[in-house]
Amino acid sequence: MEKKVKIYTTSGCHYCQQAKEFLTEKGVEFESCDVGADKAAFQEMKKISGGARSVPVISIGDWVIVGFEREEIEKALK
Amino acid sequence: MNLLIYTMYGCPFCLHAKAFLQERDIPFQEIVVTPGSEEWGRMREKTGSGSLPQIFIGEENVGGYAHLVHLEATGALYEKLGQTWRKSDTPLYDAIILGAGPAGLSAAIYTIRKLMKTLIISKDVGGQVTWTNDVDNYLGFSQVNAAELVAKFESHVKTFGVERVIGKNVGAIDLAGRIKRVTLEDGKTYYGKTVVIATGGSHRPLNVPGEKELLAKGVSYCSTCDAPLFDDADVAVVGGGNSALEAVLDLVNIARRIYLISLTPLTGDSFYQEKVRHSGKVEIFTECRPTRILGDNMVQGIEYQSLKTGEIHTIDVEGVFVEIGLLPNSSIFIDTLATNRKGEILVDKECRTGMAGVFACGDVTDVPYKQVVVAVGEGAKAALSAYEYLLNQK
Repeated sequence: MEKKVKIYTTSGCHYCQQAKEFLTEKGVEFESCDVGADKAAFQEMKKISGGARSVPVISIGDWVIVGFEREEIEKALK
Repeated sequence: MNLLIYTMYGCPFCLHAKAFLQERDIPFQEIVVTPGSEEWGRMREKTGSGSLPQIFIGEENVGGYAHLVHLEATGALYEKLGQTWRKSDTPLYDAIILGAGPAGLSAAIYTIRKLMKTLIISKDVGGQVTWTNDVDNYLGFSQVNAAELVAKFESHVKTFGVERVIGKNVGAIDLAGRIKRVTLEDGKTYYGKTVVIATGGSHRPLNVPGEKELLAKGVSYCSTCDAPLFDDADVAVVGGGNSALEAVLDLVNIARRIYLISLTPLTGDSFYQEKVRHSGKVEIFTECRPTRILGDNMVQGIEYQSLKTGEIHTIDVEGVFVEIGLLPNSSIFIDTLATNRKGEILVDKECRTGMAGVFACGDVTDVPYKQVVVAVGEGAKAALSAYEYLLNQK
């Protein structure tokens, strides 16, 4: 089954943009939310990441990755 | 399929084209023409052009030297020649550019336009420009969004169709021989006649207790990314230059109170200093040295020492933004190239490193003033120096 992918971003975050492009290039479908504007999403991001206060946070299935780490993302997608 | 090339005595691109074919063991028939001669007339008739060289594969006119380079880069050349097995050949690049920030991308424009077979290898695209929101001091743009500027740089380079390997780290490098070798961490190896180092810089850490432990838990090196997560919070910004002042301005409409802690008096542009001072939200502590970032699982405060009195103070904050300058990304070159005590690669005014065929540009070098416009200029210089070097090799 395809893993559910969600990315938490802010509008000025270039790493988030690069991460989204990376996922798109890989043909991965994902949900994206702006935690600068969406407080509920920010709370959710903090909860799943053990309190991260930094973007991007990417959840892939049961994995949560803080930061744009290509290799981690690839591992999690497998 | 036979390759035929029309050349003329004294034509530099004819020489380039022949050398290109010889280097690749591609046999060719050559017809040397002079303007007005019978053969020249026949060539004009077949091509509709009088420029030289003119290259034919079988009956097809594929154009001049630039087209030849392009055909090879795309693999179409060997297909046309019927040598399909050649596709897997390890190509030899005229220039391998390490880094895809303003310096590296600018270098690429210049090498490609000199018809040098170019490869860009980089961890990411855009470099430090992507750490800021807007760029206000790049000629021709009174204010431009940093991401847009990078997109413009990137698409400019893409119009020339350069080969790129993005998202990979270089694991090992051998710069000493005439042919340079670049090996990625995944083991893939690339060969180049010249290397242009444009690897830029990384955020310099404070190196105080708590910093590593609380990274992404309140400690941040990217204010444009993380500022929106500190809504109505008290935060500290460490540093006194433009980057620190810009971080304060990124936070000024979001955070409740901002403490700016600088080792020296503020050194950033007066324009930014004025804005910061007039915001009414910022308390400035100069000649103070941060000694510890406090907190268990989240940043709870920062401890600093006044250099004037020696007293130690703590402030309660939820975030610490570190903007104290750059560390050059030069660690893999440090054994082979000369660097200064900051680790910046020493270059002369032609961007030469002292190692034949190896050039460097942008923030990884000892050239002062880390600015986009400076990096772009230095990138162009490094590329032109690499071109000059190759000409002298022949």
